[in-house]
Amino acid sequence: MRFIHYTQSNGRSASPAVGLGDRAPRQGLENELDWLFGTALTGFAGFARGGQFPVDLYEDKNNTYVRAELPGVNRDAISVEIVDGSLSIQASRKAKSGEGTVSFSRLVSIPDEVQTDKVAAAYENGILTVTLPRREEAKPKKINVSVN
Amino acid sequence: MSFLNTLIPSAVRAQDDLPETRRPHYEVSETENAYSLTVNLPGVFKDGLEITDENGELRITARRSPALPEGVVALHRETSDAPYGLVLAHDNTVDTGKIEADLKDGVLRLSLAKAESAKPRKIAVS
Repeated sequence: MRFIHYTQSNGRSASPAVGLGDRAPRQGLENELDWLFGTALTGFAGFARGGQFPVDLYEDKNNTYVRAELPGVNRDAISVEIVDGSLSIQASRKAKSGEGTVSFSRLVSIPDEVQTDKVAAAYENGILTVTLPRREEAKPKKINVSVN
Repeated sequence: MSFLNTLIPSAVRAQDDLPETRRPHYEVSETENAYSLTVNLPGVFKDGLEITDENGELRITARRSPALPEGVVALHRETSDAPYGLVLAHDNTVDTGKIEADLKDGVLRLSLAKAESAKPRKIAVS
């Protein structure tokens, strides 16, 4: 069984980490997402002022994908690291008004079966996509059963 | 008249006007000769972007290209695939022939030259 924790490190601690392993309480997750969108639609102050940015998680049979919306960030100013079984994404960009930089960071817990040495990241059109390949033994195997 | 004053009420109206879209984050600044508009459009390619300006309304619609491998399953979503839509009224204070647009790294930068009538004019006293 896989269990992905999703941590929010800012003041929104009132909402507990979203457990993705048990997908049964769909309603709860949807409410959580509605709430997140609600915050996003009020002008997305979080991204404008620094701090959090929205993240999506996808998977297929070989990889887990983390996609982050980071518009207007220089490639050199993005850092992606695996720290203690979590994916850490940090980025900064020049402040629109005057001097200084605005920093963003996000920590996403990733499954244990990720090949941490083969993680790849790409940035295009303001979207960062991190590809986390799964270890061979963790991939679903098809076993043929012959019935006599 | 300031671009901002005319812009904010219409931006609110825009939600009814473009029901299937979501409003992107945007910023407007003003210089003597032009307005500068910055719109965050992560995930949008040049092909998916449409900018029109007519009847004193600047209209931006943009489709996102998710560009994910086939067969992926979403585990957790915080973004939306809905297209972006933004309508800003400027009461023809913009010279529509002099609008420049640049899309880079998911950020659209528009430079809207002010119409001659909107520029400050000095009147000489004879």
